[in-house]
Amino acid sequence: MMRRIMRHVLDRLFTGSAAISVLLMTLSLALILGMIFWRGSSAIVFSGTVEWRRMQLGRFGRGDPAKIEAEVEQAARARQPVYEILDEFGQGLDPDALTRQANHIYREYRRQIRNRIEDGRLDNEDFIPMRNAARDVRNDLVAAYQSIDQEEILNLLDAVLARRDDEAFVGTTAEGFFELAEQYGRVVRGLDLSNREIYAESYLEVRNLIRRLFGPRPGEETPPLERLRYGATRWDEAHDALHEIMWLEEWVQVEPGQPLEKTLVPRRDQFEGTPMAEVFDLLDHDLDSMLNPRLTIYLNYFTDAANPEGVFGGAGPEIWGTFMLAGLAIAMSLPLGLVAAAFLVECTRGGPLVRMLRMCINTLAGVPSIVFGLFGLAAIVMVFQPRVLGWEPNSTTLAGGMTLALLVLPMIIRASEEAIRAVPRSYREASLALGAGKLRTFLTVTLPAALPGVLTGVILALGRAAGETAPILFTAAVFVGGWATSVQDPTRCLPYSSYQFATSDRLATRSPHIQWGMIMTLVLLVLVLNLTAIIVRWRISRRLRGG
Amino acid sequence: MPRNELTMTEGSESAAAAGFDRSLLLTPGRDLAGYLGRGIGWVLLTTVACASVMAVMLIFVFIFKEAWPFLTGGRVMEFFGSTAWYPARDDEFGALSLFAGSAYATAGATLIAGLLGVSAAVFLSDIVPFRIRQILKPVVEILAAIPSVAYGFFALLVVAPWMQDTLGFTTGTNILNVTVMLSIMAVPTVVSIAEDALTAVGRNLREGAYAMGCTRAETLVKVVIPAAHSGIIAAVILGMMRAIGETMLVWMASGNAAQVPSPWWDLSQSVRTVTATIAGEMGETERGGVHYHALFALGLLLLTITFGLNLVSEYFLRRTRRRQGTGG
Amino acid sequence: MSDRGNFDMTVMPDQEERTHSRGGVSLPKAEQTTTAAAESDPMQCCEAVIRAKSFSLYYGQTVGVKDVTLDIYRCSVTSIIGPSGCGKSTLLRSINRMNDLVPSARAEGKLEVAGTDVYDRRINLVNLRQQVGMVFQHPNPFPKSIYDNIAFGPRLQGIRRRSRLDEIVERCLRSAALWEEVRDDLKKSALALSGGQQQRLCIARALATEPKVLLMDEPCSALDPIATGRIEELIGKLRDNYSIVIVTHNMQQAARVSERTAFMCMGELIEYGLTRDVFTNPQQKRTEDYITGRFG
Repeated sequence: MMRRIMRHVLDRLFTGSAAISVLLMTLSLALILGMIFWRGSSAIVFSGTVEWRRMQLGRFGRGDPAKIEAEVEQAARARQPVYEILDEFGQGLDPDALTRQANHIYREYRRQIRNRIEDGRLDNEDFIPMRNAARDVRNDLVAAYQSIDQEEILNLLDAVLARRDDEAFVGTTAEGFFELAEQYGRVVRGLDLSNREIYAESYLEVRNLIRRLFGPRPGEETPPLERLRYGATRWDEAHDALHEIMWLEEWVQVEPGQPLEKTLVPRRDQFEGTPMAEVFDLLDHDLDSMLNPRLTIYLNYFTDAANPEGVFGGAGPEIWGTFMLAGLAIAMSLPLGLVAAAFLVECTRGGPLVRMLRMCINTLAGVPSIVFGLFGLAAIVMVFQPRVLGWEPNSTTLAGGMTLALLVLPMIIRASEEAIRAVPRSYREASLALGAGKLRTFLTVTLPAALPGVLTGVILALGRAAGETAPILFTAAVFVGGWATSVQDPTRCLPYSSYQFATSDRLATRSPHIQWGMIMTLVLLVLVLNLTAIIVRWRISRRLRGG
Repeated sequence: MPRNELTMTEGSESAAAAGFDRSLLLTPGRDLAGYLGRGIGWVLLTTVACASVMAVMLIFVFIFKEAWPFLTGGRVMEFFGSTAWYPARDDEFGALSLFAGSAYATAGATLIAGLLGVSAAVFLSDIVPFRIRQILKPVVEILAAIPSVAYGFFALLVVAPWMQDTLGFTTGTNILNVTVMLSIMAVPTVVSIAEDALTAVGRNLREGAYAMGCTRAETLVKVVIPAAHSGIIAAVILGMMRAIGETMLVWMASGNAAQVPSPWWDLSQSVRTVTATIAGEMGETERGGVHYHALFALGLLLLTITFGLNLVSEYFLRRTRRRQGTGG
Repeated sequence: MSDRGNFDMTVMPDQEERTHSRGGVSLPKAEQTTTAAAESDPMQCCEAVIRAKSFSLYYGQTVGVKDVTLDIYRCSVTSIIGPSGCGKSTLLRSINRMNDLVPSARAEGKLEVAGTDVYDRRINLVNLRQQVGMVFQHPNPFPKSIYDNIAFGPRLQGIRRRSRLDEIVERCLRSAALWEEVRDDLKKSALALSGGQQQRLCIARALATEPKVLLMDEPCSALDPIATGRIEELIGKLRDNYSIVIVTHNMQQAARVSERTAFMCMGELIEYGLTRDVFTNPQQKRTEDYITGRFG
């Protein structure tokens, strides 16, 4: 009795463990595919900001210029207060720049009065007192800038402002002095000047982050690097930037004796009491109207080329290159594979030649992909290209295609052989009985009947060739460059770019949609090919079952 | 048009009489042409068909040719005897650490993939109903079809950070990571071949065992799996070959530190495999230098090992086929 | 094609009447080749189209056909019967060299078609097979359209003109009594037809190369009785223009459709003669045993 229960339990355990292994497999597939598609889809479906539309217009000429212009205008209006506060606050933080400004006004003023003397509107004698007055004002102002004592500064500024109505200054550029003084007064009142250095650092950070958010300010010079020309093109990017603006990462001693812990400190606290504090509120509340996010479906991702920095655009050249490589591989291996398969089925019955052929096919199928890469480098790139084609021994699409052709050759042979074998003998007999020769029979009867099966093999081989990276590392793939136009060019391709984006590209690690978009495209491509093959095969088997 | 070349030979008189209006015999010219055509066609066909034979030979020749300068350069002892692989900095070519890395990754992956794969194959061949099997088969196929770079991507960007943050490893790209991912990759190969072997055992044996009162587990463990053992061994070997030859995944997930892990059981350390070394260093090395040839020597080693494993797996596969009586 | 309304397939036809009444139908050559000897001996009613002289065929060591000597006559239906594995199909397939598909096949003796040895090295296989058509056990239309199935043979002969092909297709389908059923779906896949229609299509396809001899390898074994009836009816119509050799394991069928019957056993030809003689008055013990159902 005990034994029977034991046996029963063991049986259940066995079944359970087998089921668990399949479950694990299915789960890992779901996890990997799910992760890749979920994160990768952000490359295509996302919330695009006004910067996105500006970029699309600027780079690809897409969208209605007038509409986008209006949108940009509106966003610029929403951003204006932020910039104003920033500018004003920034001035207070940089005494040297302010000093330069004061000096500039002073020089301008001098030139102005000289001009007036030449015009005869002023007398020659007036020059010296007027200049002296202006110099005094300037000196006070500069002293105020250089000081860090709030009281002293305010006194100096008062002194400056007291001369506002001096008739020597009215209607001249010297009025700029008073504007500066007023502005500075406002800044200084809410500012602890002893911390000016700290403010300056944080202010600069915020300024850069806002630049990341909004791009260059209107009227500013266009930066040469394309990625700096636009702000956050995606709402999630904008959120990341906003998060960085709002929160400061700090290592804080939480408990004495414990290691420092990373904490986030609201940056607003740092600027509490200053006009800058308002910037944070503005950004927090009005980011929407500043960036105008909208649901965007970017199907052109599959056709657009990314710019050299790999930031804007899509996977167009990679897809093209992948298809080129896989297509070349199939174009070269299909004829060879078909002939070999036909030979194995139609022309021979065993024998040492066939045994050797089969062994070689199996060996070829087992050669590691990196060894194919080595072979491609040593034989095709280094020997075949210079000696036979007269090309430079560089990576070319042709070399990659040839290497991949060898890689998929066993797959094609096996699939074609199976397909040709599956053609009923009766077709062949009927054709022969009608007087067709062997070649004729194969071409007009056997091959068409085997075609769906061969096609399945070709599709699977296409998927394999598209996904392989190691064989093209040294033979065809590059990470930068445009569309490959001839087989003599190296090419970008999905698997290699995926690898590069995953490992070495600093920009890509900051924008996951680029990383994940590339791998998603690759997996999507391979998956679509495989599903097609599965469907084709299913239809064949249904047709065979159905008679 | 064949009907135009009506030639009168011995039989043709009665042939015409019997209504045969087209000669049954070839003219000498057509006979010769046909003979030559068949001969030439056969030679041509055989040549093209043997492209794969040529490819295999060329691969061996070229890899060997490029590895030869290193093998004769008097550094073979160092290659197999030292663990210091610093080709660029110190001109040291001790590949033992790379072998160790490959061995760790392959052994772990083979173990997991073997166990998982065989039990999944059992599940598919003997436990689930046909309908569910039709759904699960594509899962296996798609798992096999996902490019290795995608697995590597997942290992590097999902598994590694998770290991670092949640499990508290110092580095997320380590032996454990690479082993787990590699076994997921190798599982489909094991499953499909092992399942074929299990299915090929046939219903008779199973029914015999069930008739004797065996439970399903006993039938499978005591009868079916022993009967299919050569096919299962071949499946595991092919899975192992997949793991040894894998490049992109191990390159991305192993951490690429050329070291022998110490202590040996610490799976949270980074290693570097032979394949990853070739992939990673070939781009930077000067073509024709010692380093270049050393990498080809690594490739040659890899090629030899997989070739040997292939022969072994073929031996086992042939044994299963012979037992089924279907021949080659 | 003339149609014989009075043809009765269920009753064993009167052979005598049949052989004589074929005179006026569409074969002008028939008259001049009929000899006086044929009148006196029904076995010799017209000249032999296929003539086997001590013909043997081996598959490696196995015997397929052993030392067969027989004449098959023009414009008549000859059936070959015998237990399965007796070599009747092998003999049939030797006539148009379909056994070439088996690499180990080896022939001895002579097998002449229209006076030419089929196993001559110089044989023109294309012409042989086009003039000796074959219909197989299982209907095996190509997975193409009905039209393309029929046009396959003519296209091999180099006929490319659409009008000519159309004409051939219609004629052959009419000959095979299939035209009325498929005239509107010539572009449909042949695989969509029923089994009996497929077999008639295969016959039509064989007719399209204008054969003189039609070899039928158990053409009805895969069909239901109704379809079998239609095929037999068709054979009855075709006998006027074609020499038909039919292999069957259905003795009633042999009796119904054929004028002469050969009985084979273990690769050997046991008895050959007019059907009614073989069935009613067998000379050999083994024939009698087989016909009366004692073995086979």
